[in-house]
Parts: sequence; C-alpha cells; structure tokens
Amino acid sequence: MNIREATLDDMIPMQNCNLHNLPENYQMKYYFYHSLTWPQLSYVAEDEKGRIIGYVLAKLEEDPTAEPHGHITSLSVMRTYRRLGVAEKLMTQSQNAMRDVFNCKFVSLHVRKSNRAALQLYRDTLQFTVQDIEKKYYADGEDAYACRKTLQ
Amino acid sequence: MRDLPSKEANLFREILKCYELKQYKRGFKGADQILKKFPEHGETLAMKGLFYNHLEKKELAFEFVKKGIRHDMKSHICWHVFGLLYRSDKNYEEAAKCYAHALKYDKENIQILRDLSLLQIQMRNLEGYVDTRHILLELRPQNRQYWVAVAIGYQLLGKPELGVKVLTTYEETLKDLPSTPDYEHSELLLYHNTLLEEAGDFQVALDHLDTIEKQVCDRKAIKEKRAKYFLALGRLTEAEAAYRELLSLNPDNMGYFEGLGKSLGLGSDCQTDEDEVKILEMFKQLQKEYPRSNAAKRLPLRYATGEAFVKVTDEYIRSMLRKGVPSLFVNIKTLYSDSAKQAAVEKLVLGYLIALDKSRGFDHSGAVVEPPTALLWTLYFLAQHFDLKRETEQALEYINRAIEHTPTLVELYMAKGRILKHAGDHVAAMAALNEARELDLQDRFINTKCTKYMLRADNMADAEKTTILFTRADIPNPLNDLVDMQTQWFSLEAGESNVRQGQIGRALKRFHQIDKHFNDYTEDQFDFHTYCLRKMTLRAYVSMVRLEDQLRSHPYYVRAAQDAVQCYVRLFDKPDGSESEEMEGMTEAEKKKFKSKQRKAELKAQQEAEEKKKKAAATAAETAKKAGGNAAAAAAAVKGDEDPEGTKYTKCEDPLGEALKFLQPLQQLADTRIETHLMAFEIYVRKNKLLLALKALLKSIKIDANHATLHEQLVRFTLAIQKSSSAKTLKPSVKAVIDKHWSELYGTHGQDLTAFNAGFIEKTKDQGSVAHVISAAMSVYLIDPSKSLAKAEELLFSVEDEKRFGRTRTLENVILVQKTLKGFKSARQQEWKAKAGVWFPNAVAFK
Repeated sequence: MNIREATLDDMIPMQNCNLHNLPENYQMKYYFYHSLTWPQLSYVAEDEKGRIIGYVLAKLEEDPTAEPHGHITSLSVMRTYRRLGVAEKLMTQSQNAMRDVFNCKFVSLHVRKSNRAALQLYRDTLQFTVQDIEKKYYADGEDAYACRKTLQ
Repeated sequence: MRDLPSKEANLFREILKCYELKQYKRGFKGADQILKKFPEHGETLAMKGLFYNHLEKKELAFEFVKKGIRHDMKSHICWHVFGLLYRSDKNYEEAAKCYAHALKYDKENIQILRDLSLLQIQMRNLEGYVDTRHILLELRPQNRQYWVAVAIGYQLLGKPELGVKVLTTYEETLKDLPSTPDYEHSELLLYHNTLLEEAGDFQVALDHLDTIEKQVCDRKAIKEKRAKYFLALGRLTEAEAAYRELLSLNPDNMGYFEGLGKSLGLGSDCQTDEDEVKILEMFKQLQKEYPRSNAAKRLPLRYATGEAFVKVTDEYIRSMLRKGVPSLFVNIKTLYSDSAKQAAVEKLVLGYLIALDKSRGFDHSGAVVEPPTALLWTLYFLAQHFDLKRETEQALEYINRAIEHTPTLVELYMAKGRILKHAGDHVAAMAALNEARELDLQDRFINTKCTKYMLRADNMADAEKTTILFTRADIPNPLNDLVDMQTQWFSLEAGESNVRQGQIGRALKRFHQIDKHFNDYTEDQFDFHTYCLRKMTLRAYVSMVRLEDQLRSHPYYVRAAQDAVQCYVRLFDKPDGSESEEMEGMTEAEKKKFKSKQRKAELKAQQEAEEKKKKAAATAAETAKKAGGNAAAAAAAVKGDEDPEGTKYTKCEDPLGEALKFLQPLQQLADTRIETHLMAFEIYVRKNKLLLALKALLKSIKIDANHATLHEQLVRFTLAIQKSSSAKTLKPSVKAVIDKHWSELYGTHGQDLTAFNAGFIEKTKDQGSVAHVISAAMSVYLIDPSKSLAKAEELLFSVEDEKRFGRTRTLENVILVQKTLKGFKSARQQEWKAKAGVWFPNAVAFK
C-alpha cells in the first residue's frame, strides 16, 4: 500500500475507481480542475502493482465571506481494500496539506443520510461533527449531513 | 473597424462588448440595426455570423462570416471572427490559419495573439507557441503570465535552461516581494526549481531551494526535492535525514522508504546477504517508530529471502489474518514471481489451517487462541491461492468451507465467482456474484463486479438492469448516464460481449465511444492553457500537457483499439457482418436454425425496446412538464439512439481505413508492444501494402522474434508475395526491398514454406508452448489447405501430451485449439471437446 499525492496521471484511474464505488460521478474535466487548481490536496492509494485502489479528491472552498477552508469532494476505497485504514490515511494527508499549504482552519464534507458506514468513519474515526442537514442535497433527493472538522 | 459614421461606429463597439459579455441576442439585434443602413459592412456581417453561431445556427454563421470577409478582405476582425468560428467547430488547423491571416492586418492585436497561441499549444505547435508568446511578452512585459508562458514553451521544447533564463529575468524585475508566502508566487518559484532540475544541475537546483524556501507555501515539495537532490548528489547522510523527516509526515509513502533505502546504500537489485540483514534491521526500527504503517510491515517481504523470508512473512500473514484484511492474498501474490516464496507461503498457510482446525491457533503451541474469523480468512486465502494455481477443485473446497463458516460475507462469493470464471463456467460465476450483490444492495462496488460477470457471461439484459441501479434515475435512458460519466469499463466489457455474440456493429459503436471519451479528455485541456497561467499551478499544468501527449497509451484505449481493429478486419473478411463466431464451422442446416433463433431473439428485444421508449417518452414529458416545459429538449432526449445496431459502422466503405485510425495512436504511443505491429500486419497484408506489412514484421521481430503469432504471419507474408507475384502485381522495386530484408525475416530459408515451417516446429518442440503449436498447425494448413488437414490436426492433438504441454495447456489455449479446429472445419472437433472436458470439467465451452 502506497499513499501519495495525486498527480495528473492518476486522474483516469481515479475516475475509474469512483465509478466502481460511488453513485456520485464526475466527468474528467472536473478531476482535472481539482488537480490543476489545488494540486496538493488530492491523494491516492496504490496497491502492490501500482493500481489505484482509493483516493480522496479535495478542494479549497473559496467563499470570500468565510474563512478559507478545505472541502472533500469525494473519497472512496475499493471494497476489497478495506480494513487497512486507507481512507483515514488519505484524509490525514489531505487535511495536513489543507492546513500547511492553504492555511485552512477547517474542512467540510457531505455524507448521504443513509450511508451509516461513511458517517461512522467521519464521525468516530476522523472526528468530524455534524453541523447541519442539507435537504435534498443529492440528485436523487436524498438529504446530506453537512460535517466539519477543525484543523490544528 | 472602419467606414461607419459615428452613430453606427458606437453601436458596433457596443456589439463587440455584447460578445464579450455573452449577450448574444442583444448583439445580434445591434448587428441587424447597423446592417439595415449598411448591408454590406463586412465586419458587422461577420459579427452577425458569430452571434448566429452562439444561437446554435452554425450554417448561417458560416454563411454570414464568409459574406463578411468577401466584403472586407483586409479586416482583422473578419478574419479573427472566422477563426473563432472554426475554433468552436474544433477545426483548429483552419482556425489557426485565420488568426495568422488576421494578424497580417493587425500585428499587435493582443487578443488575436492570445487566441493563436492557445491553438498552437493545443496542437503542440511548440515552436509557433514560443514565437507568439515572445511577441506577447514584448507587448506586455509587465504581465507575469506572459513571462511564464514563454518559459513553459521552452520547457516543452526540451530547453528548460532557456526557461530558467526567462524566469530569472522576470524575477529580477520584481521589487516588493510579499512578506508572507503567497500561493501563486510560491508555485512560480517551485516551477522555477523544477526547470533547474530538468536542466540537470542538481547542485544549482539544491542551492536554489535555499533561496526560495521562505516564500514557499508547499513545504512538503521543498522537502521532497531536497531529499531527491541530496540523493542525486551522493550526499547520503543528508539524504537519509531528509527521507526520515518525510517518513515522519507520511509513513505510508513507498517512495520515501525507497529513498531512505538508497541513501543507506540498500535495496538495490543485487543485494548481498549482509545488505539483507541490514535492510531487515532498518525496517524493524521503522516498524517500531511507525506502528500503523502498512508499508513498513510489508516491504521487508520484498527484500527478505530464505529463512528470514519465512520469519517475516509468518508474522505478517498471521497479523493480517487475525485482523481479517480481505486484500491480503492480492497483496501477497505479487511475491509469487519468486517460486521459492510462493512455496513458502503455501506451506505456512496450510500449516495455519491444520493448527486452527486442531487447536484454534496458528500453530500448535496453544499460546494464543485466535478469533473464530481467523479460520475463515485462512480458508479464503487458500481458496485464492489454489485458484491462482488453477487447482479448481481444491480452491472450491476451501471457498465452500469458508461460505459454510460465514454465509453472509460478500467477499467469499466474489472469490467463488472468480474461481468458477477461471474454470470456464461464466454462468455459474455470474450466479455467485449475484449472490454476493444481493447480500449488500447498497454497495456499488459489488454491483459493478456483478455487472462485469454478467457481461462476461454475455447476459446483456441482466447486466443493463443491474448496472442502472446505481445510475441517475432522472433521465430517459439511464444507460446514457454511463456514457455521460465516461464509464469506460462498461463500454469495453459490453463491447467485447457484443463481439462474442457476433454483434459487430454494436461492438464497434462502443469502441468508438471509448475513442470519443479520449477525444474529450484531449479537448478538456483547452481551457486549462489559460486557466493555469492565471493560477500559476505550472508544475501540475506541465504534467497535464505531458499526460495528454501520452493519453492513448492508456490500457483502456489500447484494449478498445485492439478490439476495434479486430472487428474491422473481420468486417473486411466477411462484409455482411452477420456471421457470428459461433456460426463458423456450422453446417448449413445448423446455420439456418441458429439464424432463426437469433431473429426471434432480436424481435423480442425490439419489442422490449419499443416498450421502453414509450415509457421513457412518458417520463420525459412528465419531467418536462414539471420543470416548466422544454418539450423540445425532452423530445430530443427521447428520440435518442437512431442506430442502436451500429449499422453505420458495419456498412462503412473502408473498414481497413477505419482500423488504421484506431491503430495509428498505438503505433505512436505503444510502439514497444508487439501486439501493435501484429495488428498493423493484419491490416496492411489485407490492403496488399507489402512494404508496410514488411515494416510491421520487422518491428515485431525486434520485439520478440520467437512470438507464436509472428511465425504464422511470416508464412502468410510469403503467401501474399507469391500471390502478388503470380498475379504480376508485384513491383520490382517492392520486391527488391523485401529481398534485401529476407534473411532478417526467414534466416537462411528461401521461399520454401514447408521447410520454413518444419524448421519452426523443430526449433520450438522443446518449448512446450501450445501457442506455438497452434501457429505451426495454422501454417501447415495455410500452405496447402487441400492436402494438409490431417497433419495440422495431428499437430494440434499433440497438445494432449501432458508432460510437454501441462504447463501452457490453459483453458484459454485449449479453447484456442478448439477454435482453430473449427476454422479448419475439422471432423475431429468432438474428439477434442471430449478430451478438453476431462481437463476442464467446469468449462462450459466443452459441454
């Protein structure tokens, strides 16, 4: 298992990993946009053969009215690579970069209300707190938990 | 602009503004107002065309712009507009010509120069890009972007040292540096350092880091670069310290471990026993320092040998089995390239199983009682291990025991499916995956895997039904969501299933879809040429440009292109495209029966599709109503696919020409893969382009002179020459070139193919390779189809010899032998099937 900063070469395998795992998908240009705007914030996990088996795609929320903060656009790990703490390690690296490179004070993300496993990961393992419920956040009408974590 | 009285001139300026602000309708009205009074004002006509273009009327757009140019040949505006039109049509070549023309009449127009430079970089006209960017820099030296763009141009041209000069000059003009690090400036400095690195003087690059460090935000980048430079300069103590610091930031980064190893003089390919002891000691320390690092635990397995390997592996596997890590086997099997390690692992894990059964521990010491799941994960591991060895019976025994132990674990059914797939039973494999899927309907990963297995079993209907459970539900055809989201795996797997079912048109449609995804990826870079110069994310930008240059070497494209070439070659050989692979070698009566069955199935599918369409239309109309009604758009969405069968592709005039289009990127980007040149041969020999076929053969020989398929191609090449020669179409100049290269292809053999093939059989007889036997048999048959069938069959049946062929007699190869017999219309097909069925009792192909 190798955890490293994502490069442009990782974007196609990242898209592929996302399409395997999650119902929220994006076109390639959106991946490019992340990596070409905040190249330090996205990370990938590789297996022994160098295949991408997990990733975190992250950005900076540049809302001029709020203090700078990071946002997790998407995080997933292939089912067969669970129980190695990959998601946590990816998140840690991304969060450190948010803090060190962009001076972020906190990081935010959304979780599907029905996704108990993800909520557990964010809340219990990664110490996020639920700030709010955003009604009908997802395209299919499901609500989202808006979560956030202070970066030290 | 010219020749307008002041009122209209003002109006004209206004419509230019409208264009910038994207107020196309307003601009359009303004243009009409001018044209009422001055119907022949070229620049206004051109602008009207441009507005038409943005109002989705492309034909009128071109008409008006051309009219505009006719009325004002020397207006830079007209030519610029013409260029913009071509650009929006993605015809960059013509667009660039128009811009160049426009610049003739207004040499220093910043906007046109910028637009031109964008096309130049997009088309990789790097010389042109540097030239244009130089002009811009001279015109606007106060602007940072213009400096940076010139540097990038030089870097991409392979002259990083010139880029360094440009940036140094720019940095010297800066007076007030920000007191705290500024992200954009920081990225610029790091880019500068990367140029120094590419220029190859690591000392200079290292010194430069010291000067910029205080102004850089990305401190990790500084640390990584420093470590790398220390290592490159042989300053090993400093390199070691630098890598140790990096590891403290990310103890799961393999690159850092490797760097550390190198700085300690360890981890090279030819390690001594002494090195091994040292390296294992190093990792022991690191494990203590970073107890949560997987890499620190796993890497020793790579370096350890013999007894030491057994010791570290024993510890590693035990802890993973205890934890229940599903990826353990996939992780461990990369060690199996070393057969001693494979044997050691097998012995260890079989030992665990015996101990667990007896005393619930991994050994008989009784010291530790493992959790009950340890047995489960051990069985799971062994099932995968024996599957890899293709010992199907063993593998199934272990996995069934595991399932009995815990019937609710998704991974077990996935493993069972994989075993069955490898054993050749795609239908049973699919069933196992569906069981897995039903255990966790919330999980898209298992849904994806299950869909893949359905496609492998050529069950398109279920595959589509299953996969759309996770696509967007609010569009008329949910399968389109897969295309919109660039789901390449689905197009590939579905296309390959289409090929197996003889649906060449449908298959080609999917392979062209993949080609289009790659086109879109190429197109995606366009906006970033400007964007990144503004954001200063230059290191990332340059890696994007370089990625794009290599894009089509991606395995997805390579596979799709290979599949597409095969389809087109098949279409060339059998133009109607109606004969599926299954029909080859059937009798006429069988064919008739098969066709009527197919027709019935098609009819049913058609009816279902109609039904679906109706339903979709209703939903779309409903949605449109709710959304406040764009009925036209809804109708367009429903109309959807006009050519589901892909007849556009099966009826194409020049299938080999189409095949070449897929091949060309591979010739450029996958030149070292023999498959590229084997495909090229197949195309050129059919086009009777003997010199290009020769070139393909020569390339293949260089890569792997012993390749099985290459031999058969050599035989076919001689046959093609002989045919061309007897038809008196072989040009002497062509023959001369072929003669010149003859010995490279055929050694000392002349035109006597029988002798050449006999030589091949003799030469490869100890290789025990089924693929080579097939190639030899094909050759025997091709050389004299009327008389040599028995000899070819005899060769193929020699594969029975367990001693010689046990190693390469894989399921895939045995199926290939069967297909070859079918191609010969051999009477011994049943005989082969019966034998194969004994070797592979699960395989559907032999039932």
